[in-house]
Parts: sequence; C-alpha cells; structure tokens
Amino acid sequence: MAACAVYTSQSLNSTCSISTPTKTHLGFHQKQVVFYSASKRTSKRGSSSGPCVITCSAGDSQTVVIGLAADSGCGKSTFMRRLTSVFGGAAEPPKGGNPDSNTLISDMTTVICLDDYHSLDRTGRKEKGVTALDPRANDFDLMYEQVKALKSGIAVDKPIYNHVTGLLDPPELIKPPKILVIEGLHPMFDERVRDLLDFSIYLDISNEVKFAWKIQRDMAERGHSLESIKASIDARKPDFDAYIDPQKQYADAVIEVLPTQLIPDDNEGKVLRVRLIMKEGVKHFSPVYLFDEGSSISWIPCGRKLTCSYPGIKFSYGPDTYFGHEVSVLEMDGQFDRLDELIYVESHLSNISTKFYGEITQQMLKHADFPGSNNGTGLFQTIVGLKIRDLYEQISASKTATPLEATKA
Amino acid sequence: VIRPVRAAPESISEKVEKSIKEAEEMCSDDPASGECVAAWDEVEELSAAASHARDRKKENDPLENYCKDHPETKECRTYDN
Repeated sequence: MAACAVYTSQSLNSTCSISTPTKTHLGFHQKQVVFYSASKRTSKRGSSSGPCVITCSAGDSQTVVIGLAADSGCGKSTFMRRLTSVFGGAAEPPKGGNPDSNTLISDMTTVICLDDYHSLDRTGRKEKGVTALDPRANDFDLMYEQVKALKSGIAVDKPIYNHVTGLLDPPELIKPPKILVIEGLHPMFDERVRDLLDFSIYLDISNEVKFAWKIQRDMAERGHSLESIKASIDARKPDFDAYIDPQKQYADAVIEVLPTQLIPDDNEGKVLRVRLIMKEGVKHFSPVYLFDEGSSISWIPCGRKLTCSYPGIKFSYGPDTYFGHEVSVLEMDGQFDRLDELIYVESHLSNISTKFYGEITQQMLKHADFPGSNNGTGLFQTIVGLKIRDLYEQISASKTATPLEATKA
Repeated sequence: VIRPVRAAPESISEKVEKSIKEAEEMCSDDPASGECVAAWDEVEELSAAASHARDRKKENDPLENYCKDHPETKECRTYDN
C-alpha cells in the first residue's frame, strides 16, 4: 500500500529535512511525509505510519515557476504545446485521473490551469452576477499557498474546475515538477503569486483579432451568430479591462497580436502583425535582437535572395518603453509561405538561445499544423520557449553552485 | 468512489446553444446587469470547451487508434532497427 520513493541526486551529506505539514487547508495528503532541501534551520521530525509518499526535491533543483496570462480563446493551449515541445516529450493529462482534468504533464513540465482555483462554480457566479474574470470568483490564497508549496518541492492536492459541467471536481495530486507553468486569466494578479514567478508572459490579443479568431472558432457552433459572438466579447470587456489587461505591465515578455499594416483596411485577421516586447534587465533573460542590439531597424527580407508572395514580410526591431520599463521590441508583420523564408530570418536573429543552427525552424516545422505556424505568433512563441529553457538552465546551474559556497562559509 | 466521466462533445454543443438563448433572454431586461454579464461569460466558457473538444476529436487518426489496441498486427508493427 505504501508507495515510497526517495530521490537523491546530491552527495550523502546534502541536508534533507523532514517536516510534517500541519495546515490542512493547503490540501496536503494526510500522513504525508515530505523531504525537501533544507532552507529552514528548524525542522520538525514527524513520525508516520501507514500509507506515505516521500518526495525529495532532487537535491537543490528547486521548481522554476512560469506564469502565462491570456484571455480564453487566445491561443494559450497552442503556446503551451510549443513550450513543452522545446523541452522534449509530449504533454499529457495525468494518467488514470479525472478525464476532464486541465493539467498537462510531461517529463520536465507540469502545466496547471488557474481556472482550477475558481472559488465560485458556474452556478455560484451566475447567482452573484460575476464573471470568471472577477477576482471575487477566484481563491488567490489557495493559489498562492499551492504554488508556493510546489515551488519548494511539496506535492499538493489541487482542485479541478470542470469546464464542461461548470463544477468543482474532487482534487488531484500534483507533484513538484522541474518546471511549473501556471496559465490562465490571473497568474500575475495577486502580488504574492507574482513574486513566486521566475518568468511571466502575457498574450495580448487586440480586439479586432480576438473578434476574428472567435468567429473562426465559434461560427460553426450551433446557436452562435455574429451578434452572439460580439455580445459575449462586449459583455466580458469591462471585467477584462479592469482585472486581466493591467497584468501586462508585470510581464517579462508580452506577445501583442495586431491586425496587419501591410494590407490597407484588413479585418480578416489572417495576416497578423505580432510584437514581442521583452523587458530589459530581467535576471537570466537577455532579449533577442535583429542585426545590432539597441538600434532601431526596419527590415524587409524579401528581395533578390528571397521571394515572398503578397503581402510579404516586414520585420522591425528597436528599443522602447512599456509601462515605464525599458524594453526591446521585435515585430513581424506578414506571413511565411515556405520554410526557406524562416531559416533565412532565423539566421539574422541573435540571442535566440538555440542549441544548434536552425533549431527554431525545426521546432516550427515539427508543429506545422498548429495555428500560427506561418506567422509571428508561432515564431515568437517558439523563441519565448527557447528563452525559458535557457532561463531554466541558468537557474539550475546557479542552484548547484550555491551549496558549495555555503559549505565554504 | 464515483469517477467523473467526460461529457461527450455533442452535449457541449447543446449546452452552448442553450447558454446563448439564456444569455439573450437575461440581457433583454437589463443589458448591463451582473446576471447578463455572467451569462455571456458562461457562453464563452462553454464555447472554449466545445472548441477544445473538437480539436481533440480532430486529432483522432483511425489507424493510430487501431494500432493502440493492436500493436502486433501487420499494419501497426514498427521496429526501431
């Protein structure tokens, strides 16, 4: 009955402490003993009997936490699939659990959906007249406590919000992964949760594009019409502007999706102008640049070396300010027709954190069927994925370096 | 322990249709009320769930599905070397 596994990656003298969680509202398993690398000097010794789960967050490798904020229907799941693909292995729902679980687990990453922290279910929100975007419909205390526990290597019992029934299902056990991604509407809303994030991303979809995407998504659905799609966007807009949109000022990287400027009066939402806004001075993150770091550049790759069909491709790069922060902005307007265009573009970008020449192109090719693979959304999502891998590697490297210094002292 | 069963995509479609009708009724009285806004939020949530269910269905390849259950058959056998 007892399923015990102890992982030790460090030398035997590495300190592991035993602590028995006393708080129950955290959602801990009863009689669960948790080993984790000792950061606190005081540790209680808990005796356990019966079923136990022993986990030891492998030596010093603490979980790296990434936050992704975006509205529903704005391509969060496509982004997640690109991100987990960079780390290798497919992300799958937890085996044998709730079939409607929102969690995705792969070897390196665990993606949890923040809708699971709804404090009000669908009926509850309707009775109170609040949307899911409203902070009152979400339990930020539980979100903070569970993300904090996972970050320090402690498994948690996380609730499941069932999107089909609109009910809160029984919780599932989430083990601390190497990389934890929290995606949803409010990853940067609560200050305490925000401070736990090692990196944060905001997907900023302009109203025109959001409308065009939702038409593509919903028009085939019975009952939906242009009016109903528009009414749904308009009704949610005040809450979106009040609670979701302001989070973008805290993001380390923002991906803005706008209508193209290459075609006059385009409102189809098929050709996109995508901007990757990267904050300067973020630890373990150095922005991508085009040709010359810090200059302002406009580049049309089409010409003698590259043939592009209408409306072509246009890149821009330059420094800017965003909510009072120094940022670097890389912009791509237009779409790719063929692969050689992408490798040509990739070879002119610097600081992309690839491990070999052509890795971006290879990643994009691997998922050619995903939405956005022929424009800037796919390109910039892949770049951000590589940057996160780089950030993770830097953090793990610095973690293994610190204990040596500690023993010297 | 009762294990929840995933609702079939067909039933999501019906739910979307029903939620839109409800939202339209709710908003005919007072378009700015909390009830109206919450009703349209439900429409969005169900539409997103329906679209995710459609994507999952699309990923189903008949041969891949067959090979999951019958990896030893002629058409499914794969050797690494």
